[in-house]
Amino acid sequence: MRIEPWVVLTFCSIIFFIGLAGVLIRRNILIILMSVELMLNAVNLTFVTFSRQLGHLGGQMSVFFIITVAAAESAVGLGLVIAMFRTLRSVDTDQIQLLRE
Amino acid sequence: MDASTTIRADLLTLTSEQAMMLSPYLWVFGGTVLAMILSVTRAIQPRLPVFIVSVLTALVGMVVSLGLFAADRVMLFNNMMVGDSYANFFNVVFLASAALTMLASFEYLDQERLQYGEYYLLVLFAALGMMLMASALDLIVIFIALELMSLSVYVLVGFRRADRRSNEAAMKYFILGAAASAILLYGTALLYGATQSTNIRDIQAFVQSQSGGVSIMFTLGAWLVIVGFLFKIASVPFHMWMPDVYEGAPTPITGFMTTGLKAAAFATFVRIFISTGYGDGLPAAIQSHMHDIIVVCAVLTMVIGNAVALTQTNLKRMLAYSSIAHTGYILVGMIAGQGSEQGYAPVVLYLVAYAVMNMGAFAVLAILAARADQGLNLRDFSGLSSRQPWLAFAMSVFLLSMAGIPPTAGFAAKYLLFYSAVQAHEIGLVVISVLCSAISVYYYLRVLVHMYMHEPEEGAAPLRPVSVWAAAVVASMVVLTVQIGTLPAGMLAAAKRAVMSL
Repeated sequence: MRIEPWVVLTFCSIIFFIGLAGVLIRRNILIILMSVELMLNAVNLTFVTFSRQLGHLGGQMSVFFIITVAAAESAVGLGLVIAMFRTLRSVDTDQIQLLRE
Repeated sequence: MDASTTIRADLLTLTSEQAMMLSPYLWVFGGTVLAMILSVTRAIQPRLPVFIVSVLTALVGMVVSLGLFAADRVMLFNNMMVGDSYANFFNVVFLASAALTMLASFEYLDQERLQYGEYYLLVLFAALGMMLMASALDLIVIFIALELMSLSVYVLVGFRRADRRSNEAAMKYFILGAAASAILLYGTALLYGATQSTNIRDIQAFVQSQSGGVSIMFTLGAWLVIVGFLFKIASVPFHMWMPDVYEGAPTPITGFMTTGLKAAAFATFVRIFISTGYGDGLPAAIQSHMHDIIVVCAVLTMVIGNAVALTQTNLKRMLAYSSIAHTGYILVGMIAGQGSEQGYAPVVLYLVAYAVMNMGAFAVLAILAARADQGLNLRDFSGLSSRQPWLAFAMSVFLLSMAGIPPTAGFAAKYLLFYSAVQAHEIGLVVISVLCSAISVYYYLRVLVHMYMHEPEEGAAPLRPVSVWAAAVVASMVVLTVQIGTLPAGMLAAAKRAVMSL
């Protein structure tokens, strides 16, 4: 059975917006980090789909770079979470309110 | 299949012009690696060597870029990067701001007991990311350079790691920055699907070849990319992160963010803006649609930035809102760019002037900051003119420049920017900008009133002596502010040349 590209693309956009909603709505920082990863992976899948549809290798190449950058990003993100946990003793964004007028 | 299995020999070699054009990037990278090795060598005490190597790396890289400014355009890496006057112009700005940030930080880091070599390395890596960003022609390369810059800056913002405010600022910046990068990337993916390329020159060619309008996928992709950049430049309604991050970050890093980061985001935005929205031969319908929305963003950015800045009492937070307001003015220049005779040169000039005055202002704040970045409220500035007359004078020059009062850089840059908007028949926009700019004088002058007309607070902590490095930064920025203000022609000519090479 052949899966039509638009099905995959719709699927990707749904994943992307689930990720975006997670970043905006959820209060736990670890879940927010996961949501960011979800967004990036939706992008990867979009790139691969287009690459296949267009018969052009550039999209698949981009995915390699994005995976690498996403790994670096989560490393830095988790480092910041640890730094925050040490002073704040919480990973809840509701606790983040010192910088507010 | 042939094209994907064979490797073209010209992609594996560099001509001498290409190697020449790449030399600043290679130099900065090499210097950073050397500094990294020095910072982990146990035999030496790394404090001074790392600092000196890093500053020299940035300064020499700046001189090399300056030397390449007049060179012809060179395409690099199969058109993924370009070495033109525009890129080299901004390389000078980025490396200068990195060097000045490091000079202004040295004493500050001693005081905060944060004298680690990583600080200088991260500043250099961020500068390298900015340089790549300004010269990239491919959206994927732009993304990678953006991440190189952003990841370094996330860590720098959280560098005071025992301080909750710094942690919070870093975390907020990281979450929103990562989400914005993902949005930008999704836009890139959609543009790739619509045009079969991530190269902005190819995208531009694609847009020009479509006479009947573009597909909805292209429009969506272009919008997502633009939203990503509006976030990075902190335009309303994507500005909420900025005041918090600016307040929580170590003061010299806030200075680095207002100068380097902002210039980098705008430099890349102008490149992309021209190709996805304002290129020649674009269907008029898209162009006016785009125009309207950017106008709304610019007006909101100016009004909200200035209105909220009026009520701030913390200087860092006030300068953050003023930074949002300045973003609005620069957006006005971008809207006007296509219709005026100077083109985008006033935008570039404004970015330089803005970088100069902010670098100076934040260097002064870094000198005045008490331990843990306290003591930057308005009342702490009372009577500064009697306690530190030279610092008070320098701060007044920078604030007057931000308010746009002659004979400072801010006035010359604002005048040229608004003049280009008048030429482009954006009269309504100019009226709003000038009114906003008039409002902004109030909160800049309020600091001056505190410095010159109030008595010092009872029991104010004695100020530390000013270090040679920081004093040199402040003095050179005062000189540059006045120089650009009185004789803007030289800088404008350079900006014009940079824009012409786009």
